[in-house]
Amino acid sequence: MNKFTSYSVAEGVNFNFVKDDRFKTGRASVAMFLPLDRSNVASNAVLPFLVSKSCSKYQDFTALHRYLDELYGSSVAGDVDKLGETQLLTLSASFLADEYALEKETISEKVTKLLCDMLFSPLLINNTFSGDLVEQEKRQLIELIESEFNEKRIYAKNKCEELMCKNERFGINKFGTKESVSALSPADVYSAWQNALSTARIEFTVLGNIKDHNFALDMFKKEFSKIKREKTVDCATQIVRSCKEPHTYSENMNLTQSKLVMGFRTAIAEQDKETMAMRLAIAIFGATPHCKLFLNVREKYSLCYYCSAKYNRHKGIMLVQSGVETKNIERAKEEILNQLNEVKKGNFTEEEMNTIKRSLSNVYRTIGDYLSSVESFYISQIFDDRKSSPLEYIEKLNRITKEEIVEAAQNITLDTVYILNGIEKEA
Amino acid sequence: MLDIREVKSERLGDSYYTLKHKSGLRVYVYPKKEHNSTFAVFGTKFGSINTKFKYKNKNEIVTVPDGIAHYLEHKLFESEDGGAFAKYAKTGASANAYTSFDMTAYLFSCTEKFDESLKILMDLVQNPYFTEENVKKEQGIIAQEIKMYQDDPSWRVMFNLYRAMFHSHPVKVEIAGSVESIAKINPDNLYECYNNFYNLNNMTLCISGNLNVDKTINLIDSLVKPSGKDPLPESIFPDEPYEVVKNRVEEKLPVSIPNFQIGFKEKASKERLTDEELAQTGIILYTLGAKSSLLYKELLDKELINESFDYEYTEGPMYNFVVFSGESNDPDGINEVLVKHVKELKANGVRKDDFELAKKALYGKSVKMLNSAESITNTMMSLDFANRELFNSIECLAKTSLEDVNKRLQDQLDVSNSAISIILPEA
Repeated sequence: MNKFTSYSVAEGVNFNFVKDDRFKTGRASVAMFLPLDRSNVASNAVLPFLVSKSCSKYQDFTALHRYLDELYGSSVAGDVDKLGETQLLTLSASFLADEYALEKETISEKVTKLLCDMLFSPLLINNTFSGDLVEQEKRQLIELIESEFNEKRIYAKNKCEELMCKNERFGINKFGTKESVSALSPADVYSAWQNALSTARIEFTVLGNIKDHNFALDMFKKEFSKIKREKTVDCATQIVRSCKEPHTYSENMNLTQSKLVMGFRTAIAEQDKETMAMRLAIAIFGATPHCKLFLNVREKYSLCYYCSAKYNRHKGIMLVQSGVETKNIERAKEEILNQLNEVKKGNFTEEEMNTIKRSLSNVYRTIGDYLSSVESFYISQIFDDRKSSPLEYIEKLNRITKEEIVEAAQNITLDTVYILNGIEKEA
Repeated sequence: MLDIREVKSERLGDSYYTLKHKSGLRVYVYPKKEHNSTFAVFGTKFGSINTKFKYKNKNEIVTVPDGIAHYLEHKLFESEDGGAFAKYAKTGASANAYTSFDMTAYLFSCTEKFDESLKILMDLVQNPYFTEENVKKEQGIIAQEIKMYQDDPSWRVMFNLYRAMFHSHPVKVEIAGSVESIAKINPDNLYECYNNFYNLNNMTLCISGNLNVDKTINLIDSLVKPSGKDPLPESIFPDEPYEVVKNRVEEKLPVSIPNFQIGFKEKASKERLTDEELAQTGIILYTLGAKSSLLYKELLDKELINESFDYEYTEGPMYNFVVFSGESNDPDGINEVLVKHVKELKANGVRKDDFELAKKALYGKSVKMLNSAESITNTMMSLDFANRELFNSIECLAKTSLEDVNKRLQDQLDVSNSAISIILPEA
């Protein structure tokens, strides 16, 4: 993987570049980091979807997409994510490298310019966003929120996070609620846009098979020279270190299979501690096909098809998710806790540990083969104020000892159990 | 000497190497310089639809339980000396497998110890080990996998549509079968399927990554275990009428926004479609349903769709159909607009400017696919099973004419032979 170069564009705004000619494509993206906040989460969430659908030059959705087709099927997409208690708004474009253009067009420059126009010259009517376009995006965002309920695995996971962190900002849905989206006016979204440009931490990233990045760098610099930047907002996350008594919540639904989600506090999170030992502890416990959950809850006891643990290193929590027969919920829960105890007691061999290290090293080495992975890896590095490469992570994980893993595991405590109870359908 | 043939794309500057091994196995090796990871996929042309077959020179038709191909996939991960995952643990490779209508594939990706990983892959697929006990153990796991899909509205809406379109073709049967059908699976019928269809004459091995072609092919040569001399049985598909079974199917599930799929069934034969025909279909569907289309615009303007709206073409032995899908509060409204646009398209043909635009966009998207060793290997395998070829499929996009596209359109998108499937929220 090639070198990562970073330039400062304005206060709190950087431009990052990774040149990599192995690819037949390039990518350009804008990531804006804002504190997750109930009062503006919905207006922020509408923003990337809204600006990715038009701009002052291509005012009409169809005209915009005909232009993208002309540029060899380039694509532009808006998205919203959550990193700890930070709301991440992204606008990203993917395009064919210039050398593959049949008529020698400069696709990369045109698409990067388009991305820049979407962000800095959106379609405005009377100095605000168009009411029709805002309504269109509000409706689609509400439908996206509704669709999270359709997928029971996602619904159960969100529900557990929400209940576990109900008194923390992490419990806020990244899209907001149906009600908060529905209440938005064009002026609300317009002020979210202004606020994001002047206060968010912003990272532009251009990567892949691109001849010259100076064009993009100059363009973003020029745009930012016109914007009055205020103090960049702080994006800290509240880390809850432990909990006294676990809470259990359950909900009945007309389903064939029940979902069990267990939320744990890990005490260790990226913003204040080294997380590698915790990553390994959780991987040994439940995050690969060599882990204790897969080998026991699935393979040995045949209790489920999936049962896995995921570490959220920005929030310092771990979620275990499984789909099980209603009558087996208690058994699965017991076995999951039992396997966690095995890790805490250090009941795993050197070989088990080395297996997990090999498997994670493989994941780190693979990052460089996908532009989207390279992009998200570095975005997350930048967010954590770190500058390590995937190879440095491999060195780091190889230095971790069994004692450190066992010590990290001691911090894991059960906080919340959420059960989506499948009840028999009426005949 | 092994007869290795180079297949080169002048347009893209890429090459891959192929040979038909004396064992019957077809091998594809696509080097990707400087890539960190290498992908290997080993598969057989035996999937969920191959449940009835006839031995050469015998009249009797053998019927095996629904879901047996998928069950076999699970069971091949186990051998006499332990599970495949435990073996991959030593190389750090990430392994998986999947079963579709017409094929079963076993794969891994690795960033080191490729030779050992390939040996594990080829050993596991070539050495079945089924016992009463290990077959029985899998039933609980697969039953939970089946139940997980039963609660998934996007899966349900799809198979409900297939059952509305097909009278008797096994494409309408769930890939994993049912809890009842898998209860009939035992070591005997697993071995019968294995011995017949995991014949190397019916199989393909595709590898892509940073590798030496000659060395890789010699390694494969040393790992091949010749199959028995018995000829392949003939898969039997029931006579399937041209007409759909019914035009509409609805089901209620706990969802908050309805899911829909609209299918257009076409005439089909045992012969698979050609690269030319698929390129033409790609262009037709792009001009009809892509984001740049007038259909998409009208559906958006009428607030009927969101970004989940998509279309797909599926084809195989005796089944060809187009599906439009998504989540919407008014699937019937979508159907009405869709049928109107299809009728207009059929009456007027594809427009010249739309044709040129679609060609360009689809060409760009195909080249982009070649970024990923994973996409390359999986695509080469499914193309091989359909007697198609990777570079030719891209070349056909560039070379097909508007006349040919409009000719092909006559055989597609018959509005009198379509069906709509909807999942509605419970009352």
